[in-house]
Amino acid sequence: MSGGTRLENANPLIFQRSGERLLTATDEDDDVADPIDDREIFDLIRNINDPEHPLSLEELNVVEQVRVTVNDQENAVSVEFTPTIPHCSMATLIGLSIKVKLLRSLPDRFKIDVHITPGTHASEEAVNKQLADKERVAAALENSQLLEVVNQCLTSRTM
Amino acid sequence: MKDTLELLHRFSAHPDSRCWYVAWNPRGTLLASCGGDRAIRIWGKEDESWVCKCVLSDGHQRTIRKVAWSPCGNYLASASFDATTSIWKKKNNDFECLTVLEGHENEVKCVAWSPSGNLLATCSRDKSVWVWEVDEDDEYECVSVVNSHTQDVKHVTWHPTMPLLASASYDNKVCIYKEEDDDWECRATLEGHTSTVWSLTFDPTGQRLASCSDDRTVRIWKEAQPDEGSSSDIAWKCVCTLSGFHGRTVYDIAWCGLTGALATACGDDGVRVFKEDVTSDPEEPIFSMSAHVPKAHSQDVNCVAWSPKEAGLLASCSDDGDICLWSYKSED
Amino acid sequence: MATDSSLLLGLVEEFVSGQQDTKAADTAKGVKNGQFTVLQLVEALGLSLTSSQHDTRARGVKLLSEVLQECYSCLNEREVEVLVVFYENRLKDHYVIIPHVLQGLKALTKSSALPPGSAVSILKSVFQDTHVQSLMIQERSCVYSILINLMESREQELKGLGSDFVFGFVQSMDGERDPRNLLLAFQIARNIVVHGYNLGKFTEELFEVTSCYFPIDFTPPPNDPHGIKQEDLVLSLRAVLTGTPLFAEFLIPLIIEKLDSDVKSAKVEALQTLADCGPVYGHKELSPFLSGLWASLRREVFQTASERVESAALSALSALTAALSRSVIASNADDALHTLLDLVLKDCQHHLSEPDLRLVWPSAKILQAVGGASYRACLRVESAVLPLLLEQYTRRTQSAQRRTLLEVLQGFVQPTEASIPAEGEECVFLQFGASLCAVVFSALSESGAATQITATRILTALAQHKGVLSPSDVELAVDHLTTLILQEDDPHVSAAVEECVGSLSPLHPAAFSSRMLPKLKEHIFTEPMVQGDAPDSQNAVRQRCVSALARVTSESSLLQESTHILLAALSAAHTGSGSFSVDDVISVCQSLQRIAEHAPLTDADIGRFFHDVITPRLLGLAVQAAVQDEGGRSPLAEEAVLAAVAPIISTSCSRLSTDCAAVSAARSVSLFLDGDVTFLPDNNLPPSLQLLKAPSPQVSQLVCLLTASVCSLPRSVEIPEIDRLLEALEEVGCTHTHTFTHTSAAKCYAGLINKRPSGPALDAVLQRCVKRVSAELDNSTSCLRIQALTLLLWVTKGLLLRYHPLSTTLSDKLFQLLGDRSLGAVVAEGFSLLMSDSLDVLNRGCHSDVRIMYRQRFFAENNSKLVQGFNSAPPEEKAGYLKALSHIMNNLPRQVQLTELPALLPLFLEALVCVEVCVQLSTLSCLQPILMDPPPALTNQLEALMPRLLALTTSPAMKVRIASLHCVHALSRLPDHMVLPFRTRVLKALAVPLDDKKRLVRKEAVTARGEWFLLGSPGR
Repeated sequence: MSGGTRLENANPLIFQRSGERLLTATDEDDDVADPIDDREIFDLIRNINDPEHPLSLEELNVVEQVRVTVNDQENAVSVEFTPTIPHCSMATLIGLSIKVKLLRSLPDRFKIDVHITPGTHASEEAVNKQLADKERVAAALENSQLLEVVNQCLTSRTM
Repeated sequence: MKDTLELLHRFSAHPDSRCWYVAWNPRGTLLASCGGDRAIRIWGKEDESWVCKCVLSDGHQRTIRKVAWSPCGNYLASASFDATTSIWKKKNNDFECLTVLEGHENEVKCVAWSPSGNLLATCSRDKSVWVWEVDEDDEYECVSVVNSHTQDVKHVTWHPTMPLLASASYDNKVCIYKEEDDDWECRATLEGHTSTVWSLTFDPTGQRLASCSDDRTVRIWKEAQPDEGSSSDIAWKCVCTLSGFHGRTVYDIAWCGLTGALATACGDDGVRVFKEDVTSDPEEPIFSMSAHVPKAHSQDVNCVAWSPKEAGLLASCSDDGDICLWSYKSED
Repeated sequence: MATDSSLLLGLVEEFVSGQQDTKAADTAKGVKNGQFTVLQLVEALGLSLTSSQHDTRARGVKLLSEVLQECYSCLNEREVEVLVVFYENRLKDHYVIIPHVLQGLKALTKSSALPPGSAVSILKSVFQDTHVQSLMIQERSCVYSILINLMESREQELKGLGSDFVFGFVQSMDGERDPRNLLLAFQIARNIVVHGYNLGKFTEELFEVTSCYFPIDFTPPPNDPHGIKQEDLVLSLRAVLTGTPLFAEFLIPLIIEKLDSDVKSAKVEALQTLADCGPVYGHKELSPFLSGLWASLRREVFQTASERVESAALSALSALTAALSRSVIASNADDALHTLLDLVLKDCQHHLSEPDLRLVWPSAKILQAVGGASYRACLRVESAVLPLLLEQYTRRTQSAQRRTLLEVLQGFVQPTEASIPAEGEECVFLQFGASLCAVVFSALSESGAATQITATRILTALAQHKGVLSPSDVELAVDHLTTLILQEDDPHVSAAVEECVGSLSPLHPAAFSSRMLPKLKEHIFTEPMVQGDAPDSQNAVRQRCVSALARVTSESSLLQESTHILLAALSAAHTGSGSFSVDDVISVCQSLQRIAEHAPLTDADIGRFFHDVITPRLLGLAVQAAVQDEGGRSPLAEEAVLAAVAPIISTSCSRLSTDCAAVSAARSVSLFLDGDVTFLPDNNLPPSLQLLKAPSPQVSQLVCLLTASVCSLPRSVEIPEIDRLLEALEEVGCTHTHTFTHTSAAKCYAGLINKRPSGPALDAVLQRCVKRVSAELDNSTSCLRIQALTLLLWVTKGLLLRYHPLSTTLSDKLFQLLGDRSLGAVVAEGFSLLMSDSLDVLNRGCHSDVRIMYRQRFFAENNSKLVQGFNSAPPEEKAGYLKALSHIMNNLPRQVQLTELPALLPLFLEALVCVEVCVQLSTLSCLQPILMDPPPALTNQLEALMPRLLALTTSPAMKVRIASLHCVHALSRLPDHMVLPFRTRVLKALAVPLDDKKRLVRKEAVTARGEWFLLGSPGR
């Protein structure tokens, strides 16, 4: 190939964004409680920026609503994400971004599990184990280079 | 469950942050806590409430993961993600930083004093366990660096009576070390857990070791005769596995030196106490859960610590930043 | 004379020995008004100029130079000559004198009487006797100004110096560090290269002395009084470097070097500079570097992580291609354009057909940038790429891949300047027309919204290329579009199809008229089936047809055809055939409105068509529907439908020619006042209609159509019987119990008085109206107070807009009513009506008298009244004042908000802790826009503001929680040092609304907390 490339998956297929969640009548009603549901969790993570492409995780199909499960009563959230290619070296970073976004956005009563969609990554188990280790996550977020990259993934794009 | 865990006190120890660890001083009069706010706090009881006696906030640049009191109660060691271990000396009601031990490549995860007080062990994400010697002039010298684990080392603890050291790791294993010609060597590797081993505790006699893990189980290991033909002179075998009790990762485990009760800290927010069935076969002991507080904290419980002096007094701390003190009462 | 000379000596004495600086101005004044000449001044200075004390000499020269700066324009040639010689000699003097000497020379170079030869001699002296870079900033600036002045006026003489001039300049600026001086030096260098000064053997020196600043790295110091921006320096340096092809051999390697660096800003700067070389460079300059440039540019596109770098690289590539296309080729040389295109095609083309389409996008972008640069390049690129893409599209089966290819294809067929053939040339796409159409038609009939949308865009693009679509292609395209309108219910697809219809129909009206209109018409009149399809989806088809119809109207023939269909639909709806729902009818009205808005109504024929046909038909149907029996109620009697009919009439009336407008006014007035229905079509109405006196809302609400027809006419049109009309409207406005009716009457009244010329007639009308309204409002038991208030509000607005003096009295009345127990809340809301733009009446579109800045004026006159009113009001009435104030503030321009905020801030802070939800809300909504970029008055109050805002995030009222979160979010944008101290507190407080029971609140909390997390954190 001419002019080697730094991107691992330079031209991924792009998926359509789901629109904004439609408002229902009860959304505006102060007396009705709205439980936290799958779509709400999905809305939290779908706009996370991919670390390498100027695209969102939703557009790359890395996250999908069907791979989000929440149980509001039992305070449990589980998200599976699918790296664009099985050897994607960014998988841990993407998972970390998802985890951090959820940690910052959900009430602290929730237990948050972030995994790779089974069978979609060569180092699935290693990545899952790292993401589940809260001590490592805490240490990672004290590393300013890593935090910078994560924050960039979580910054709303202006361009 | 016939026993009770009664909440005595709950206080916010590290507000706006998480509390990683608590440790009793040997006299059982003070509690040291540390957390994500990069501070150590010393707590003491005044009248009926627990108050903060002092804050040690300028020793570390990052999270302080664990603290440990020296057996004499005059020194405190702290392990931090900033890759250093600090030694603090008690002076009247205050502490001064005596020295900073450097050497680990990255996060120091745990620090522990030997029962004699002249050895100190540290471990780190750099996969190594370091043993330091302390002389009368408060000088610290690294005597051994052991690289027996293949991953992050999460915890180190000393045997209560013998010169043995145990460590737990992200590689799912526990290692037991012994001194050999001024050097420390791994002499036994305990395999069985299927995920990260987070913490370890010896029973008061030192015959047994309990470990807790991300695989949501607790294992009890007992000293045994080495297998025929084994190169090692030490062997520990798993005699009991407590599974089905914990809903998420078990982050810490503590064996009470006074009552023999075994407490755990769990990521499902619960604190549990297990008791051994006295009639069971020592080679196949049976432990049953004798007390359980499901929502002991509002977030993950990170640590449990039994008071060394007051039987049944248990401290716990959590991601919610609180410390709780519990009274464990047994019916019999 | 004697007195003058002693005066002069006195001035000199006082300046030189007395150190009185102001005397210079006095001396200059004397020279200007002819009291003494400059030479006399020199004479009077004599002793000072020859003094052995250099301080005295400096003082003397300073006086002379300062006078010259004022008076250089009144010097004659002889005087200039003498002074030049004098100053040239002084250049060799003591260094303390030099600054004043240079000032004097600078003044002389501005003189138009500079004798021939002086320019050269001044320059020689300056270059010889001063070492510019050892001078101070000011003096260096002086030297540059001397050069600039002389280059402006004595270009030919300077050129006579040959390359010595360039050499002198190069030495002068070598090492310059001051940004202001650099701007001057770059200006000189730019003049040198652009105006053809002989660079001689100093080309490289001149390049070196300027290019050493490339790329510019300059951060203005804080509070820089000179206001020089990085951008200024960048642009002026770039102008120098790209000013001449002579620099090419030095500049291009430099550019390649910077491109290969890792600094993003350097890359971008290098690329922009390269792009600017395009217009100057040709074949000769670029040829030696083509493969090097291409390698670097390709890398920046293929591997970039930054959109800025990528787009700069593409622009540069495009500029290079354009330059090469433009050059005249020597007969014995290779065509460098083809050399470049060969390189590009070789490296990019194959990516379009690789199985995984990995580099398809960057390759396509490069090829499009190159192809868009010139017709020749376009021809070459398109004929290489299009067959490839077309083949790929047909070969691929995965829909995602086909979609990607289609999107790439869209980029290639987009019309660019280069793709338009010149006289005698053939359209690039001509030979691919058939295969392109085949792909588009296949994509249009595929499922998948994104594919269909892209296909419509390609179709739109193809239609712009003349001759590419054959007549049969056009017909097929129209058929496809029609099918999509009828069958596709995705709103994005519908919008894209309508867009395409809008751009194709003016080009091929016949095809649309014969193939699309009949189909649309058929489906508009097809009665929704009760069984089978859900009636909802049938109505949706009808509404899409109606909406599409509005797009097929750019031609006047089509316009008549489609409006007739729409009017027929209204008639059918009225008579009850075809089961038209109210929503259907409203969408028909909206389509007519769209047509009216986009039609060239100023075209007399079309204007007349609306006036003669459409407006009478609409009015006729509405009147018939209104007077019909209650039993078979026509949809056209619905308030919502009338509200949709009104803008059609209003739009067409606002653009009528004067004579049509007068007729229209007369007809409407006589219809509503006298029941004259003669101009209405299909007239079977009773002869004596009393439209304005009807008690039934069904009839009375027609007044909204009167508003539409008489309030939007040009101001010059006289409304007949205006007094009687106003009287009737006042009656309806004050007494009718139907809200829509009395409000429409009030608007009509206000619309008319806004345009009515000042004078006793207007005064009398207003006096009567105000008296009646006041009486009603003052009677607290009246059941018509709300009517009176509505009329008062609209009249106030009508007068306020035109600065009528009575508006003050009326607004005072409104302030007074803010405390009214039953009306206070409505009045407070009413200030929103006063301050915001109204869509149907009283706007510039309907020719109302709207003075600029009426809002500011209103605020300036009334804000103190509001603050006083607030302070003295009992607690339960304070809300009204705050709400009124927030409506006014919200509509003010930002600049005014900022200046007024300090005075109002204490009031806002108090309002935030007020228990009334509506006060909290209005204050928050007023604060929020200000918080986006708050003035110092506010940032000083953060300690007070923050806890108040955080407390409201857990308010019992959801709207307050949301609004306060908006404000907390806005505060995260303040400079870090202001808000970082609050970070921990805010993060902790915002953890609570993360678990709010309402999803909308949680959403805001998540956004706000996310931003606060990023504060002071790396990577933000």
